[in-house]
Amino acid sequence: MFKWLNAQGSEFKHHTPGETNYLSKLDPKLNEKNANGILEKPFPLNLSFRSEPILSEDLRNEIYNRVVRMQRSVRGVSVELGVDMRRVAAVVRLVELENKMKEQGKSLAIPYARAIHEMVPTTPLYDDAREYRSNPHENINDLPVHRLTDPQIFYPVSESRQFNRIDAGRAFSGAPALLHRDAARMAAEPDETIRRITQGDFRQIETVGKGEDEQQVLLPADARIPHPHLIANDRNRISHGMTEPGLVRTKYYKRLDQEMEVDQKRKERAQQRRERTIHKVQPENSRFEFRFRDAVVSAQTTGANGRGSQAPGHRYGVPSYDRKKGQVKIPTRVKV
Amino acid sequence: MRNRATTSLNKPKIRQSWSKYNLYNLSRIRPPHFGQRTFFQQKWASKSMARDYHGEQVPEKKWQRMFSPRMRSVVPMSSFEMAKDDGSSQSAGRGSGLDKKPGAPDTLEKFIRSRRVPYTQMTFAPLERRLDTAIFRAMFASSARQARQFVVHGAVTVNGKPMRYPGYLLNPGDMFQVEPERVMYATGAPKDRNERRQTRAARKEKAAAKEAEEAAEEAASTEEAKDETKGEAKEEAAVETESPRETLTALLAQAKNIMSRSKDVLPAKRKQELRGFQKAVRRILSRSGSSTVLTTNLEEQFAELTTLLKAKRAEKPSDSKAKEENGENSEEATAEKPSTENSASEDVAGKAPENSPITTQLAEAFRQATQNPEQDVDASELTDHEFEVLRRALIQMRDNPIDSTKPYATPWRPREYMSAFAMIPRYLEVNHNICAAVYLRHPVARPGWTEVPSPFGEATHTPAFLWYLRRR
Repeated sequence: MFKWLNAQGSEFKHHTPGETNYLSKLDPKLNEKNANGILEKPFPLNLSFRSEPILSEDLRNEIYNRVVRMQRSVRGVSVELGVDMRRVAAVVRLVELENKMKEQGKSLAIPYARAIHEMVPTTPLYDDAREYRSNPHENINDLPVHRLTDPQIFYPVSESRQFNRIDAGRAFSGAPALLHRDAARMAAEPDETIRRITQGDFRQIETVGKGEDEQQVLLPADARIPHPHLIANDRNRISHGMTEPGLVRTKYYKRLDQEMEVDQKRKERAQQRRERTIHKVQPENSRFEFRFRDAVVSAQTTGANGRGSQAPGHRYGVPSYDRKKGQVKIPTRVKV
Repeated sequence: MRNRATTSLNKPKIRQSWSKYNLYNLSRIRPPHFGQRTFFQQKWASKSMARDYHGEQVPEKKWQRMFSPRMRSVVPMSSFEMAKDDGSSQSAGRGSGLDKKPGAPDTLEKFIRSRRVPYTQMTFAPLERRLDTAIFRAMFASSARQARQFVVHGAVTVNGKPMRYPGYLLNPGDMFQVEPERVMYATGAPKDRNERRQTRAARKEKAAAKEAEEAAEEAASTEEAKDETKGEAKEEAAVETESPRETLTALLAQAKNIMSRSKDVLPAKRKQELRGFQKAVRRILSRSGSSTVLTTNLEEQFAELTTLLKAKRAEKPSDSKAKEENGENSEEATAEKPSTENSASEDVAGKAPENSPITTQLAEAFRQATQNPEQDVDASELTDHEFEVLRRALIQMRDNPIDSTKPYATPWRPREYMSAFAMIPRYLEVNHNICAAVYLRHPVARPGWTEVPSPFGEATHTPAFLWYLRRR
């Protein structure tokens, strides 16, 4: 072993800043670099795993700047910089925490962070905004594969019919085909159709099946990707992007603002709903706030037979298995 | 020392660990060729090989309960292509001979179709939700076992609250944080024998000094004070005999030595240099009389140093200085070591483009230092580069000090063989400065790629998956 470590293995002892230093370096077949000149396969046997770039320090600060200082929407920043929305939100949280720790004078692990950024590929802060489109950090429009789409189905359609993604969703969930006039209405204004789904009330979505088997009809892929508004923008670009680029841009920003507004409203409504159900009491001179929620006896909580685990309190004939052997006490969530 | 119980050399097992023994084992594994073995044997061999790596600290029964045959995957979509076509062109003409000929993948859709989704590579994805595994994946610990220890010992918080269960399953959006000191210990090079001895000596000295001090205080405090002032005066006198120019050249030479990053320089030697530099800087700064300089920010410290040494820039035009400096910095940053510069710029902010306020502050300090009429005319001239070297050496000294009380070798450096394991999966967003990370979402597979880091390929994962399907 030490023979190997002193000969071939000595390459891995120290790293060269800005380069990855993986085992696949030793294999002449795998020693190929990607478009950015980086060796990306850490494991010689596993060719379907690659070490993907992380956000560089500059890009991270830029995201924070845009969201917090410039008050841009998370959705807009995500599109501009080619970073997933969840990642944008996480970056803001982390930088906020970092600033707080700096203020408190806590020690940071700066040499460690520097070393990691030397070893791992990073996405730099590009000067040219077009680079974010051509070479983004990650794909921002990932469509999660739905369970209903797993089986292959044979679905005959007449040749006169335009079978589009909305119809495909219905076919996968076993819903009856749309009426011709509805289908035509939807096809006439596709952007508006999708906008109505994504910004509307989710409870309004059509359902199929009865009783326990009742489920929502699978939405078209246009509505299930994180940035449906980009499709609308691209449609505008295709139709009149060459003649009126200004108009396309105005429409895009207008839509972004509108999306932000809808998100805001949704959040507020959820907050109000939460406040309605919780009764808060803070006694005088107390550090604590007591929160009460009414016990609800319904199909969702106690269930049909009254033995559901969701409802609070002791119910006659429903034993608590709390102290029994094998009950897992690990918390399942930590509230912020 | 190798842990013989977990890291066998006779029967190599790959572990979630950064040790060199593990690296050696990893370099030896070959794709399995099962030959005449029965299907049962293939599955058994594969699942035991994979389980040695994936959640080796989790009991088999527990893992079996976690296993799920449904695997998450996503398909990258292109909004442009979805805008061009509502899907009807894909469905039109199927079965009537109108299918397109398979050609070179020119569109994203065709590209996706040409690559398979490595579903069975997601077999052990549920384990990636565990807190200890996530800490190891975020590179906060050198092995999953160590990550587990950090959790159990109470060094980890989830969403700001201490969490002592390594088996806690992270939910999307959870933020976990490990104490930075622990992370530095886990990922830093260990102390060698000499350093350990020095630590012991320093500790003893400190204890002795404390005792002596107490004794002296009891005896007489007045005499002590006298002695001290005498000693200081002596020291100052000794320093002032040196000319500023000589001091400056010596300092610069030291700084350059520190900054030259060659692998063959022994760590001990580098440390000696660093210590010398530190001493020199402290000695010079002590002449200024104001003790605040030592504690306040680096820019002030640097400005003070330059004024004290009567240093001066080679270039004359003072108003364009800030710009020049910026330009040079960025050049250097790109040429030499981009990532280091980037991270250094983060809190020192000397490198950021012109909008950074501290850069102007620094430039202002330079300007004051150079244009001060009280200064001597024969002050030594420094080029921008030399200034830069000096500044960087100071930064490094501040960020990465020598401190014998730390449990790792100081100045901190990454442990050996760490780079071979350095990777951060996409489902985590990590901030290494504060050793905190957010679990963004569950790992997914996408056409051609998986997000679960594993040393084994599909040849191992597929039989392992079949094993856990419980249809043996």
